[in-house]
Amino acid sequence: MTALTIDRINKRYGNLHILKDISIPIAQGEFVSLLGPSGCGKTTTLRCIAGFERPDSGRILFGVRDVTHALPEQRDIGMVFQSYALFPHMTVAENLSFGLEVRKVSVADRQRRIAEVLAMVRLEGYDKRYPRELSGGQQQRVALARALVIEPSVLLLDEPLANLDATLRDEMRFFIRDLQQRVGITSIYVTHDQAEAMVMSDKIVVMSAGTISQFGSPREIYERPVSQSVAGFIGRSNTISGKIAEALGQDSYKVETPCGSIGTTGPAGLAKGAEVKIMIRPENIRTLRHDAGISRQQRAGEAGHGDNALTGAVVNSIYQGSANQLAVKLGSGDRIVVDVGGRNPLDVGEQVTLRFAARDTWLLAS
Amino acid sequence: MTGSSSGVEKTIWDHLFTALVAAIYIFLMFPIVLVVLLSFNSGEFLAFPLEGFSLRWFEALFSNKRFLDATLYSIQIAATSTIVNGVIGTLAAIYVARHATVFRDYIRLVMTAPLLVPEILTAIALLFYFYEIRIGTDYSIGIQIGHIVVTFPYVFLNVSSALFNFDRSQEEAARSLGAGGWMTFRRVTLPAIKPGIITGCLFAFVISFDIFNISLLLKSIGKNTLPLELFDYLRFNFDPTAAAIASLSIFMTFAAILIIDRTVGLRSLRF
Repeated sequence: MTALTIDRINKRYGNLHILKDISIPIAQGEFVSLLGPSGCGKTTTLRCIAGFERPDSGRILFGVRDVTHALPEQRDIGMVFQSYALFPHMTVAENLSFGLEVRKVSVADRQRRIAEVLAMVRLEGYDKRYPRELSGGQQQRVALARALVIEPSVLLLDEPLANLDATLRDEMRFFIRDLQQRVGITSIYVTHDQAEAMVMSDKIVVMSAGTISQFGSPREIYERPVSQSVAGFIGRSNTISGKIAEALGQDSYKVETPCGSIGTTGPAGLAKGAEVKIMIRPENIRTLRHDAGISRQQRAGEAGHGDNALTGAVVNSIYQGSANQLAVKLGSGDRIVVDVGGRNPLDVGEQVTLRFAARDTWLLAS
Repeated sequence: MTGSSSGVEKTIWDHLFTALVAAIYIFLMFPIVLVVLLSFNSGEFLAFPLEGFSLRWFEALFSNKRFLDATLYSIQIAATSTIVNGVIGTLAAIYVARHATVFRDYIRLVMTAPLLVPEILTAIALLFYFYEIRIGTDYSIGIQIGHIVVTFPYVFLNVSSALFNFDRSQEEAARSLGAGGWMTFRRVTLPAIKPGIITGCLFAFVISFDIFNISLLLKSIGKNTLPLELFDYLRFNFDPTAAAIASLSIFMTFAAILIIDRTVGLRSLRF
């Protein structure tokens, strides 16, 4: 069931076209992240859903109810802000009570629900504290509790973790996700942090310059990005340019590149001769010393499981402790970054063979 | 070694600077202390040496009908200025902070103009204007408007800065929780800007109570504010009643500062 429908909304500020025909269907209980660099329109989209901005055209539906022209207070939303936006002159309990008082909930029910929600965010016993007496993480949990205590139909989160330090941010990601799943509330989460979007979301909307670049599950977006900009924004990636030489199946192609012919996976329907970029994630490449590589390549060739092998020289080695990286320069001049795990027996200048499976590649339209 | 010697030099300069600041303050505060001392003097003249402690000049002040009337008139005008400015100064600050767009800076400038234009010029301009629209100085309305105009910027500026420091997402949070515009203002915005309103109002009261030029030009016949009455009195008398009046003004100012400190804290003062 579609809990929330964003249907071709547009928003302009003067000459700036902030949102261009944005459509997003969101299912009941789903956690959807709007991900993109600042200025891509993600926050404006959220503010349109909340009712703080009104789209110039298009519709926003909560279930079957058209809320496009409803005021924020008529929408039944819970919202968590980057600045927390707690009421500083009210205690934690009074902050939580505010939305319930507006809804004319009885005193007894109010107290019960406040106690329940405080337990949910693990802040029992903090009800008499003022926001300034709490740490950043605690304030954020109060903000979350205040949004949830009114049992809204949609939870909106506007970069809620941006003001927290890195350790706390990691902890809060799982906390929010866990809470969201327990409550089962449809949630929309705005962030510019791709790692945050990846670990928390059911679906990610990748936005750029007022349009949706891609809408899909974290796995789809990571493994099957639709463009080089999406591939570059989510995680690290290498690309090699080439031309389609032959379609081997519905989604597998042989691509001719300056470093030779490469077996790849790609979206269906690419025509022969089309210019493409082959995307390979650094963690999907195995690195072997040149001599060792040749024999294995031959064995792989005999087995015929579509492995690719490229040769190059190590030009840079980055030590990061647990996950080290090598930059390898291919004969064609392309630089490829590969992950080599904790131990790195290869030195700069050594000749190496890079091996990767066709299924771990993805073709991007050039 | 050089480090420690320069450290000694620095403390010498620190002491000198402290002494200088203290000297300036003593110089500035001395007359005030003198006036307060003289108002409690039992002697006949506004002069030293002090002869003894007495409240007779305060008694003289409060038994003098002209002074009593002037005090009440001053309080009435100051209170009216405070209440009117408390409302329109706050509304104006909200308008400029929230809704003024293209002309915001110009509007802000006009709003604070009474602080920038010499008071006497404002007084002359208002005087001409009141005669032009045939109100003249026959009624208290003229002097009252003058006081409102001159004290308006104190409320406007204090509320403006309170609004500037206010995180508007609090209002959005209230709206998202289901509160309408009025309820959001009453329960979220107003408590947040209350320190600015209180501070601005107290300043408006004290300034209105003390100003002279506006009152001198715009007063209606036969009705004096306290500073005017004091001025009239000093032209023909030189006894400590004048000092008692001055002390009264000083006490009121201190009372205002005390109220600000107790209610909103002196740190919230901004100009």
